[in-house]
This record gives sequence, C-alpha cells and structure tokens, in this order.
Amino acid sequence: MAKWLAIVSTLLLANAPGLHADDIDQWLSAISKTGAGAAGSRAARVAADQLRDQGIVILPRLLDAMDTPNVVAANWYRTVFDDIVQVELKSKSPQLPLPLFRDMVRDARRQGRLRRYLLDFLDRFEPDFRQSWIPGQLDDVEFREEAVAIALEAAQQAKQKQQPDDARSAFKKAFQHARREDQVRAAADGLKSLGLDVSIVKHMGFVTQWYLLGPFDAPGKTGFKLRLPPETKVDLQATYTGQDGNPIQWKPYQTSDRMGQVNLVQAIAPVKEAVGYAYAELESPRAQEVQLRCGADDNLSVWINEKIALARLQWLNGTRLDRFTATVSLRQGVNRILVKICQGPQHKNPAVSNNWSLQLRFCDKTGAAVGLKPILPANSTP
Amino acid sequence: MNTRSQVNLCIKQASFCYTMMRFLLPVILCGLSIPAFCPVAKAEQWAQWRGPDSNGVALQQNASTQWSATDGIRWKTPLPGSGISSPIIWNNRVFVTASDGVALNELHIICLSRQDGKLLWHRRLWGTAPTRYHGTKSSMASPTPITDGQHLYAFFGTGDAFCVDLNGNLVWHRSLASEYGKFENRFSATSSPILFKDLLVVQCDHYGNSYVVALNKNTGVNVWRNERPDSWLSWSSPRLAPVSGSSAVELILCGSLRVEGLDPATGKPLWTVSGMRHECIPTPVFGHGLIYAVSGPKGPTLAIRPGGRGDVTQSHVKWEYRRGAPFVPSAILVGDYYYLIDDQGITSCLNAVTGKRAWQKRLPGGYTASPVATRDHIYFANEGGQVTVIRAHTPRYQQVARNDIGEPIFASPSLASGDLFVRTSRHLWCIGGQTN
Repeated sequence: MAKWLAIVSTLLLANAPGLHADDIDQWLSAISKTGAGAAGSRAARVAADQLRDQGIVILPRLLDAMDTPNVVAANWYRTVFDDIVQVELKSKSPQLPLPLFRDMVRDARRQGRLRRYLLDFLDRFEPDFRQSWIPGQLDDVEFREEAVAIALEAAQQAKQKQQPDDARSAFKKAFQHARREDQVRAAADGLKSLGLDVSIVKHMGFVTQWYLLGPFDAPGKTGFKLRLPPETKVDLQATYTGQDGNPIQWKPYQTSDRMGQVNLVQAIAPVKEAVGYAYAELESPRAQEVQLRCGADDNLSVWINEKIALARLQWLNGTRLDRFTATVSLRQGVNRILVKICQGPQHKNPAVSNNWSLQLRFCDKTGAAVGLKPILPANSTP
Repeated sequence: MNTRSQVNLCIKQASFCYTMMRFLLPVILCGLSIPAFCPVAKAEQWAQWRGPDSNGVALQQNASTQWSATDGIRWKTPLPGSGISSPIIWNNRVFVTASDGVALNELHIICLSRQDGKLLWHRRLWGTAPTRYHGTKSSMASPTPITDGQHLYAFFGTGDAFCVDLNGNLVWHRSLASEYGKFENRFSATSSPILFKDLLVVQCDHYGNSYVVALNKNTGVNVWRNERPDSWLSWSSPRLAPVSGSSAVELILCGSLRVEGLDPATGKPLWTVSGMRHECIPTPVFGHGLIYAVSGPKGPTLAIRPGGRGDVTQSHVKWEYRRGAPFVPSAILVGDYYYLIDDQGITSCLNAVTGKRAWQKRLPGGYTASPVATRDHIYFANEGGQVTVIRAHTPRYQQVARNDIGEPIFASPSLASGDLFVRTSRHLWCIGGQTN
C-alpha cells in the first residue's frame, strides 16, 4: 500500500511538475538559508523531511542545490540525497540519473566536492568512466593531481622502456601542470634524469632575491613584538646596531635552494634570540589579487607595500612549504615586500638544530607563479 | 478533494502513524521489558572521550584481559577511511567517526549495533576546510564524538561541528572554519567536545586565531565564545572539574603555556596556572580534588587544586612532577595512583596525592592511544596492536597479560559493560566474553 502510494505520488509529481513546484522551491530555499550560527536549522530539518518524501524525482533539483559554496546547506541537501538514493539502491533496478551525474562531474564550474561525490557514484555503475576521463583533467582545479599522477606514471613507464622522447614529453606535461610539491619535484627530477633542467623556483613563484639585515638583539622570545627601525622605514643604506653592539647593514642575497628556502643561519649568522629582516621588490605586470604563501623558522611577519599582510607567532616548528596563506593585492609596477623572521632561544635539547630560515612565494589559487619579476631596489648600491 | 489531495492525505496519515510508532515503540517496550532494555546504568555507557568521568576509567566493571586476533573477539567490523577518534557507546549502539577522500574532507558518522557490530546507519557529510594531518597518527576524524542519549555531537578537524539524532538525521551543522577562519594545524585538530548542561563546548586552539566556544546543544547557536589570543596550536580537550566544598563546576582548558579555569556557563575566566609547554595534547584527569594536567614532550605534570581566582600558580599547584610526560597519550588516574605513558612506552606510576613515583617501566612499542582502566586493570595499547594489561591499585608493576590484535592501534579504546572496544587502523573490534 505504502509503495503504491509512493508511486502514485511520484507519478503525480512527475506528470504535473507545476503542482508541487512552489513547495519544492520553498523547501530548497529554506535549506539554502542555513549557515553561520546554525541559522535556519529548524526550518531546514522540516524542509529536508519534505524533500525526502519526494523520492528520486527530486534528485536533479537536489544536485543543483548541492552545488553551492555554502557547505552547511550542501550537507543538508546531501543528507536528503543520500537517504533517497539508499532507498533507491535497494530496489531491483535502481533508476539513478547517471547521465546527469556525468555532466556534473565534467563541469569544472561546479563545486569540487559535488563532482567528487558524483564520481564516486559513477565508480559503482560505470567503473570505466574515471579511468578514461581523469587523464585529460590536467587543468582541472579539482582533479589536477590525479591527472598529473597518471602523467608521471606514464613518464616513468616510458623511461623504464627506454623511450626517452616519450618520457621527456610526459614529464614536461606533468611538470607544467603539477602544483603539489612532491609532484613538482618528481617531474623536475624526471626531466633532470633525461638531461633537462627546469626551475621549480620560477614554476612555483618563490622569491629568491633578497636584501637581508640582521641580527638584531631580541632576548628570549621578545622578537615578535619588537618594533625595530625597518618596520618604520626600509633604508638599504642605513647602518644599525645589531646583536652584541655590532653594526649591521642590508646585504643582497640570492638563495640557490631549488625550493626557494633562505637559510638565515648561513646568510646572516648562527645566532639565537635575534630578529632578521628580508626585503625584496617585485614588479607585477598588472594590479592583481594573489596568494602569499610562506613559512619560517621560527616565526614571521610580512608587510606588502608597508601594510601588514600576515603575522604568525610560532616557535620551533620548521619552515614548511605553504604553511601560511593569505590573499593579498599587488599593484601594477613595483611592490615592496618586507619580512621579519624571529629566532628564538636554543631548544632545551641541545640536539635540536639551530634553524633560522624563510620560504615565501606569490602564486595564483592553484599554486602557479603569477609573473612577478624581481628588480633591484631603487636605493640599493649595486 | 481531488485525487492528488487524497493521495497526499494518505501519505500524511501513513507518515503520522509511522512517526508515532517510531517514537512510541521504544517507550512501550521499555515499560514492558526487563531493566536491561531500559535506560541503562552509567557503567554501560561510554558516551564521550575518556568515558563516564572523563578519566578513561570504568570503575564499576571488569573486562577481558586476554585475547588475540581470533580468540575472545565478540565481533569486528571494517571501518571506512581513517580516524583516531574513540568509539562511544550508548545503550545498544556504538558510534564512531571517520574521514576519507583526497583531502580527508569526506566525513563519516557511523552507528553500529553493539550486539553484533552490524551497520545500523552511516551518515556522510562534507567538511569545510581540511588541514594538514599526520599520515598515520591523525585524520580529520580525530576528535571523539559525544552523546547525551538524545543526540550525537561530532566535531571534525575540518572545523565542523554536527548534531545528529541517534538515527543519523541532521539537526544542525556549524562550519566554525567558515565563520571564524580555517584551522591552521599540522596534525589536524583533535580536541573532543564536552557537554555541560545545554552547552556543547569546543576548544579550537590553532596557529591562527584560537578560541573556545559554547554552543547551545539543541540549536547550535553560540551561547558564549572566548578568543584565546595567547594560545596557539594545541590538541587537548576541555573537561569539567568540581570545586571541593562547593557545588561549583569549572571548565578546564589546557593550552599553550598554561592551564585555565573558566565558568562553563558564561566562559568567564576564573584562574590560570603557568608552567605548561607550548603544545598540549593530553586531556587532564581529575580526582582527589585535584586536576592533573600534563604537557609534553618532557613537560611537567601539575596537580592543581581548582577554585582559585587570578594567577594561582604559586598557591594552587599541590605538586609538580617533571619527568615521564607524554606528548600524545593522556594520563590516567585509577584510585590512588596516577599513570603516565610517554610516546616511547616509558610508563610511570605516581602516588596521586603526593606526586612521588611508585614505579617506572618501559612497555614495548610506541604509543598514541591513551590508556583506559576497569575496576582492577589498566590497558595500554601500543601502535603495533599490542595491549599490555596491568593490575591497578598496587605500588608495584604487575603485568597481567599482553595481547596482540595484529592491527595498528592509534585510537584510545572504550569500555562499556565489560566489553572493550578497540579501534584499529582498519576495524572496530569488540572484545568481550569474560568478566570477573
């Protein structure tokens, strides 16, 4: 009886789409309003129950609704979708809208989480789809890493088969599209093994040409809060009193590290309880919003065009790629970048090494360089 | 009334009957049946991180002391993805969380039958903002969920807090990472939420702007929220502690460099004790009128008397012990003894009242899971899957058994009604069958 009622109800809905349209719109809309502060949860619960009762005919509407940056609303829709699909999967011949699933997976404008979710469904019903589709997604923001992994695998196989041209071509393709550190390194290493050097620094947008100043004295862990002269004005000609009363000056430095790390122990001095500064000028071809990604040991503050862009207090955690990220605006032409890097006391355990380092890059949202050009600061003495 | 209206009416009536039966049936059965099917005694629940008293102890029961991968196992059930959250047990259900996906932002809340481990329901959700995590020692499902018997509250390293009913239906979702900033964490957040009256308290300490927030457990709405500007990354969980000689309860937070006491109802800061390390993972335990807080590695254990005001470092620290501190596993207090196991297996037993060491012993393997205890025994699970069982309440080390389950263990076990629930890297195991 219940099954029959459900079928009749479904048929009615399917044959008279306008009949329930207002209700369905209202229920979907109620869920779309959930978000910060758990707003709209009660209404969403009621709406979810109503939508669940509609059965599989509602799935396309739910999928459209799930394609939202509002993760709270997306989860509400998902619970309804999952419950309906679970019921459908128990039937003898499940009727899921697989062509729609495929279209949405292919559509890079859709939310990545929704595309992955549907791809998982397709794996169950069309297991060949993933294998045939993923390799072409080298520019796909969501599936890039899987596609690059396949390209790398193809390159390694070609290399093993003594097919250097094919291997080089595949490694090049992988390098060009790779954004994840291990994949970038693997592609660069693969190319190097075949006699081709590529620059990870250029590919990922690391800043490697700096003017460095230090060490300033900063007893204990006071460095982060100290306000020292470069934070007021960068004067590359000035001389300051550094740690132990020694005079210190800005000096140019270019790191040769393939991942753009600046080892301040080598570049400035093997000191403790100190502050150092790094300064660079970068020319941007246009005004643009970019990502500042950086890390330091021990901690760092970053100013862009004299405005603080990021400051993170941390000690003894090492310099790791893209540890901190901030979206920042660069102006067309010259942009001034000042970085303060603090060095804390020696770790209680003398075996812990005395690291003091910096890594910083500017990139787009995918992690690719954004065409900045290092230039010689105007008031420097070449 | 047209055909469609009639159909809708029928559906509504059927739905009403179904709903009534769904809610009334358990009540009817409960009224008719033996007490075992009714709301159960505290010893039969393990409703939160570290169990009934947040100390990792189930004193009213004993559990199996000997088993292997094939002997003494009531059931084992494969789990999806990864996670080091502990299972929680409420009546005849076991709840556990997990995460998977490329960035571990696919979140799972799973409900199993306590009787046979069969899947009752599985709710999948998206997480907002996954962070870095340790490949084996953490995932986005590191915090342990909590239940009040009506709802289940699950917090994930993606910065999401969910409330579902015990049938898996979503009640509310807070994307804290969307509202207050993505967590910046290198091992994923692990702090497990706690309940205080109608509040769900979540501690969010990370490299960015740290805070602690109390949500109305029924609605998910903020009741209070405190910024923690001087705290950065830590993984410790909040806990409650009564104040001796009063009816007051304090909210205890372990974080960078200090332990803090707050009024749980309002978030008002009450007291602080300095002396912790920068990064705190273990959750404090409570007994003998004292909070036992430890931070490592190689940090101190502080035995703190709650109830102070202001900086009480000089006045309320009863004793301090400077050795044997773990980085990850929480300590355990069983009767008059306080036990620490560090990540390398060095186990120390202290007199809980004086802080004097009773014994020290190296157990095999590395340790991430926190120990749990029954009336007579303490269980130390290592990362290789071995569980060493020792006798509690004695001033000497007395090993009872060492059992190998054959799968890595990073999650702290749970106990309920004489059953030991062990989450390994692949399964949830229910070890049962023997009590004494």
